[in-house]
Parts: sequence; structure tokens; C-alpha cells
Amino acid sequence: MIGLGLDDADKAELVARYCAEHAIKKVFVLSPAKFRLALEGPVEHIEWAEVIKYKFYYRLLQEIDGSVLVVVNECLRTQNRNDLTYNCIRHFLYQTSHQMVFQHLPLIDQPDDFMILVDFETKSRWKREKLRPDILSECRIDVRPVPLDLHALPVATDEKTRLAYAAKKRELIDSLGRKDPHTIPRNLYLMSGKAKLRHVTPGQSYIGRNNRFAIEQMKTFKEDAYEHGPHVVFELCHSFIDFADFLALSRQTRVDVLVADLKVDRWYFDRYAAWKGRIADAYAAIRQ
Amino acid sequence: MPTQRYGNKSVLEAARERVAFVFDHFAEVIVSISGGKDSTVLAHFALVEAKRRGRRIGLHFLDEEAVYQSSVEQVEYLMELFPECVNRLWLQIEMRLTNATSVAEGQLVCWEPGRHKDWMRPKKPFSVHHRMWSLESQTVRNKNKGFGFYDAIENFERCYSNTAFLVGLRAAGESPNRWRAVVQNPVTIGGESVYWGTKKGENVALYPLYDWNFHDVWRYIYDEGIRYSKIYDFQFKKGYAISQMRVSSLIHERAFKSVCDLPEFEPKTYDRLLKRIKGIALAQETGRNAKLFAARKLPKNFTSWIAYRDFLLATHHDQDRKHIFVARFARHLNNEHVARQQVRQLVLNDYENNVHVDNRPDPRDELIRYYEEVL
Repeated sequence: MIGLGLDDADKAELVARYCAEHAIKKVFVLSPAKFRLALEGPVEHIEWAEVIKYKFYYRLLQEIDGSVLVVVNECLRTQNRNDLTYNCIRHFLYQTSHQMVFQHLPLIDQPDDFMILVDFETKSRWKREKLRPDILSECRIDVRPVPLDLHALPVATDEKTRLAYAAKKRELIDSLGRKDPHTIPRNLYLMSGKAKLRHVTPGQSYIGRNNRFAIEQMKTFKEDAYEHGPHVVFELCHSFIDFADFLALSRQTRVDVLVADLKVDRWYFDRYAAWKGRIADAYAAIRQ
Repeated sequence: MPTQRYGNKSVLEAARERVAFVFDHFAEVIVSISGGKDSTVLAHFALVEAKRRGRRIGLHFLDEEAVYQSSVEQVEYLMELFPECVNRLWLQIEMRLTNATSVAEGQLVCWEPGRHKDWMRPKKPFSVHHRMWSLESQTVRNKNKGFGFYDAIENFERCYSNTAFLVGLRAAGESPNRWRAVVQNPVTIGGESVYWGTKKGENVALYPLYDWNFHDVWRYIYDEGIRYSKIYDFQFKKGYAISQMRVSSLIHERAFKSVCDLPEFEPKTYDRLLKRIKGIALAQETGRNAKLFAARKLPKNFTSWIAYRDFLLATHHDQDRKHIFVARFARHLNNEHVARQQVRQLVLNDYENNVHVDNRPDPRDELIRYYEEVL
């Protein structure tokens, strides 16, 4: 089955029930370390980065048979459907009919990303197909939609910041050389940091790219846990995967974002608003 | 355009049926072998079927001289597996192969007459030592290169008619382009449209393993207890990715990286190759260097791929071939994206244009323009 939006307790209960009903002798959980599931019984956790290593890959190929359940947890780590880790998991799943796939959101960036989960569920029968509702009828999908709610908290900047922004943009483009063009929005986005500082409330938790302003209760997008939520987004991250991880770990659904009146802030916010729309599209396609 | 769908048969059953179909419809069957795993499996299939029917098939090995000793031993093994069913078509003829490891000696003239002391190994007494066709009828694809590997195959195939040439080409999953190339021109045999083959003059080339994947091949080798090239074991132990685990010529544009590990895998072959042709020691040391053959990183004294390409062209060692690159690059767009690929062709001395150049506007420029507009 594919479980979307389930919390850890739900996942543990589903796994326990499945093991009891199908006389499962061993469970392999393939998961990034920060999403490690607390499961009881004969369970072995394989960290995501280790899946491709020979010492695990070949041992698992030998050990996985019809009495083994493979749990693939929070597995959307790349949009490349032919990624090596995905391919390794594919081969594990060929050897057993018992698999459970858990994911918080149904995509990384595009609705077709959901087909990575479908591949796991269907022994890659539809590996070359895009997301189509008729294919999904073959899968058992338990959907608990995440009602993502993005709110912009406007931040005004002064004339000096706006002039500095225009100069910085010109400088970044002119001096780009061989550097990655994505560094342009990433660097420009940092310009509104000082203006946002004036809107920081003591005692409130924040999340940002880094803690360069030494704000108390500021977390980054690379944490393993997010306590003392809800967190206000000081600045959005460039990668959707990092933001999806934050949502999955924090279970936060309403997200307030500080948005300065610079074009790059609005661009980032609109980018995430469009992303939210694609998530809604994916849910609609899955539910058909 | 046909699409791929899983059927109810295993690839093993389907391949057995295909090979039986070939034997039903063709009196002459020739299997091309290279010593690699795919052709080993295909040859085994065909030999088992030939033995069952009491027939003989040709095993065709076009010997490129600069190959692993393990490949040679694998070919010997296949030819001796059911000797009563085999016509040994081991071709050791003079032909020109691209040497991607050296600009100074850009070609290996394999089995070059008069240089038999330099050959990697002596010719087999039973092999075909001379061209089986007349010079008048001989065709050459690329006059710049001279008579090469594919010319040898084409001329060899034209010596036959109504013959099925079986090739161990696999096209499922791993290469959509290859799959399209195989299935887009089906050939009609006995009134049946065959998607796993193509017409080749008076003959047909057939690919009975076209829907097999890497794991199917190894499963068959294991189940049937067939011997395979030792190189695969070395590559496995060395941690090669599946896509890199292949045995072929040691020196052409797509395979020269094999030279990097050759001293470990087959020291004697490496030693002979060093004496045979130039550039081997450099390729062995730098074959995986991102700044040299791979052309992934720009050397530090250049600020752009265009500048690096122009430098390589201006200082090109081989004046006979420089004009080939100049003429080809004149038809390309002049941007960093294309220039990086042109550099790769130059360092690999790819005058034959085997390493594809993606000739399109630089996607990076478009992205920069977009950011300039929206930010």
C-alpha cells in the first residue's frame, strides 16, 4: 500500500497489523535517518544512503523473500525515476509481495513524481508511464491530504535596501562567470534579511536558511526535528525537498512566511504558492 | 510508434521461441560474439538450439586485436562448447580503429601486415586472415578513417544472402533510444512482422534478447552454469556501476576508460598494449580525470570552454584531420554548452563524430535571462 500524510503512530500501527495478518518474519525499513520509524519486532533499519552499498544491497537481495515486509519511508529524495537507490529498491521489491510505501506529500516538484511511489507499489509495471488515474486503480492508496496553507507576512524595506538590491542583482549577473545561475536568486534573497529582523518576535520559532543573525529559536532546513512549533518562515529554501522535509518533520500545515517587498521575495513566495497548487493537483489525480 | 508493455511470458521463454523461429525460417544462422555477457548468452541459446536440431551455425568474432585476453578466451570457450555445431568465423583482418588515447597515433591498424611482431598476440591458425570479399566490391563508410570496424561487418555480411545474423543487443529499459532504433523498422519473416529485427540488404539482423535486462542475462548465465569473462568479476570487485560493466575494445572513444584499470585486471595485456600503440600510459593515468578526457571541468588557465576549444584547435597535432573538426564545428552553435562537448571530441580525437554533440542554445543563458527579467 501507499500511505500519504500518515504520522509515525499510524505507520507503526499499520505495519504491526500487516505483520500479524501476513505472518511476516522480518521487516526491512528503508528510510532517511531523520525519518526513522519506531517499530517493534524483528525490524532492521537501513539508512537511505546505505541502500546502494554492496554490503547492504547484496545481503538484502539474499535475505528478502516472500516472508519479508519492505517498508519504504519518506522516499521521494530525487525526481530521477531511474535513480540508483530507486533501482536497488525495485530489485528488493521484486522478491516479495509485501511492501508499504509512506510519504508525507505526494510529490517533490511535479505530480508525476508520485509515480515513483507507484513504481514501488506495482513492481515497476508502469515505470515508463506518467501519472494517470487508471493506473492508480491497481494500487491501494491511503490518502490523508496535508491542507497546506501559505500566508505572506508583508515586510517593508527602505529605499537604501532597494537600491542595494538593484546593484547586487547587476553585480551577480555580470560576475556570474561559470557559477551556477541559481546562485542569483539565492544570493538576492538574503538582501531582505535585515528588514525582516525588525519583524522578529521574541519567543516565536523561526526557520531560515541559516542563523546568520543569531536569532534565538531559529532553525534551519537541515534539522532532524522541529520542536516548539509552529515556525514562521524567515526565508524559504530553494529546494522543495528541504521544505517538504520540514513539513513532514514538523507536521505544520499553516505556514506564515515573511515576504519583503523585493521582487525576489515575491518570486520565492509565488514559486511555493504554485507548488502548493501542484500538490493539490496531485491529490485530485490520486483521488479520481 | 510501438510502446513497451509487460506480457504474460518470461523473457527466457520469449527468447527461446524467437531463436526457434529463426531456425525455422533460415537455413543459415550466424551469431555475432564479442566475449561479452550478452553475446555469450545469445550464442549459448543458438548453440543449444542448433545441437537439438543437428545443425551448424556460424560464430562470428571480429577480432579488434586490442581487446582483453579474457574476451579472447571467452570466444575460444564458446567456439569449443559444441564444436560439431560451429563454423568458426573468427576474423583477424587488417582494419583501422580509432585510438582515443593519442592524438599522435590516432589510429590502430590492427593486424597490420609486416608488423606481426608488434601484434598483441599471434593470429589463430584457424581464423580468417584475409578479407573474404574482393577489393572492387569493398565499401568504406568514411574515407577519412579508412576501412574500419563497421566496414568489416558490412562487407562480411554482404558475403551472405538470406542469412539471419543474431546480435546480442539489449534495448529494454536501459536505453530508450536503442529500443526505438530496434523496433521502428520491423522486418517481415514468413509473413510475420518481427519487431526484434531489421533488414540488412539481403539478410536480416535479429535481436532475440532485445527485451532482456542486465539481471536477466546474469540469471541465465548462473542457471545454465556458463563460463563468462573474468573481467566482469574484476569490475564487480572494483565497484563498477552496472552501466559501466562492459567488455569491449580497449581504446575507442567510449571504452578507453577500461585502460585505467587494465594493469590491475590484466597486467600482461596492459604491458603488450603499452608497446603496441601510443597514448596508453597517459590514458591509464588520466582516463577519469575531469579536466582531461572527461572534459567536465575547465583547466584553470582557461576562463571559458570556447577559449579552451579554440586553443585545442589552434594547436591540433594532426593537420590531416584538423579540417574535419573545423568544418564540423562551423556547423555548430557557438556557446559554452556546445563548446564543452567540442572540447571532448578534440581531446578524444573523435574525428569520426562518434561522441554526440548536443547542438542547442546554452540552457544556462536562457536561465540567466529569465532571472534577469523576473528578479
